[in-house]
Amino acid sequence: MASSSSTSGSASGSAVTERRGIPGAQFVEDVQTYLTQSGLDVGSALAFLQERLQQYKVVEMKLLAQQRDLQAKIPDIEKCLDVVATLQAKKGTGEELIADFEVSEGIYSRARIEETNSVCLWLGANVMLEYTLEEATGLLQKNLDNARASLEVLIADLQFLRDQVTITQVTIARVYNWDVHQRRIQQAVATTAQE
Amino acid sequence: MQQGGGSDTEVTWEDQQNINKFGRLNNRFHELEDEIKIAKETNDNLEDASNELILTDEEVVRFQIGEVFAHVSKDEVENRIEQMKEVTSQKLEKLEEEKESVLAQMSELKKILYAKFNDSINLEED
Repeated sequence: MASSSSTSGSASGSAVTERRGIPGAQFVEDVQTYLTQSGLDVGSALAFLQERLQQYKVVEMKLLAQQRDLQAKIPDIEKCLDVVATLQAKKGTGEELIADFEVSEGIYSRARIEETNSVCLWLGANVMLEYTLEEATGLLQKNLDNARASLEVLIADLQFLRDQVTITQVTIARVYNWDVHQRRIQQAVATTAQE
Repeated sequence: MQQGGGSDTEVTWEDQQNINKFGRLNNRFHELEDEIKIAKETNDNLEDASNELILTDEEVVRFQIGEVFAHVSKDEVENRIEQMKEVTSQKLEKLEEEKESVLAQMSELKKILYAKFNDSINLEED
């Protein structure tokens, strides 16, 4: 679950360098060292970090959209499983299932579904296949498990991404503060030199 | 994150991890609030449904399975609704527990972070 693997007291501080294409934000131990190492002045460093932040936001939008899709898909699959289970339950009894279904918006009609061994499943791309009840249950269950697993991975990705966003925001604040601090010191030095 | 006036409190990796954890918990807290709201609504709907069921004198009820409304006997519908109410109540309970735990962890982290950074950090909802 946790993306950070370092124990306390690690020297470099950055736990994971990237995850599934998302670059990890490098944790800055000391602002001065960071600026000297990267050779950037404060303005460029801030610009770079801001740009990184924007990139993270774009990826976050994409992941959130994917998450919404999956979260809509899962209840649909569960509903399908429900229907197949009901048909299966009816099988032994010899009764037929009477159902009211929507013909068009607001218009319903009655259907009599007799005992059956098979259902047709919509696979997408204008393709529908007939399956036995057991096969259908198996397929739907597999799809449901896959969807749930993908959702978990997606949520973990989002958490990692948000951590990188937080690290970047904190780094921006620290670089800015360091700059303000430096200017204050220089001003203080300049005023004492003048006296 | 507030930009302080040039303070030089150093941020260690451990502090960063605490801040990250607080962010994650805060997000989870908002998600939980939404989920709890939905679960409560579902519970209320099921409650209303079972009340309606007691009042009706029809033997056959149209119960939604998937996208269609199947004709189901009143008794079976009663059982199904009871089952669904069980499931939803348990889910609601679990969500409330998780919310309590998240809130507790968040106040712990707030204490730690405010102790180190006091005014340089803002952990409140805006």
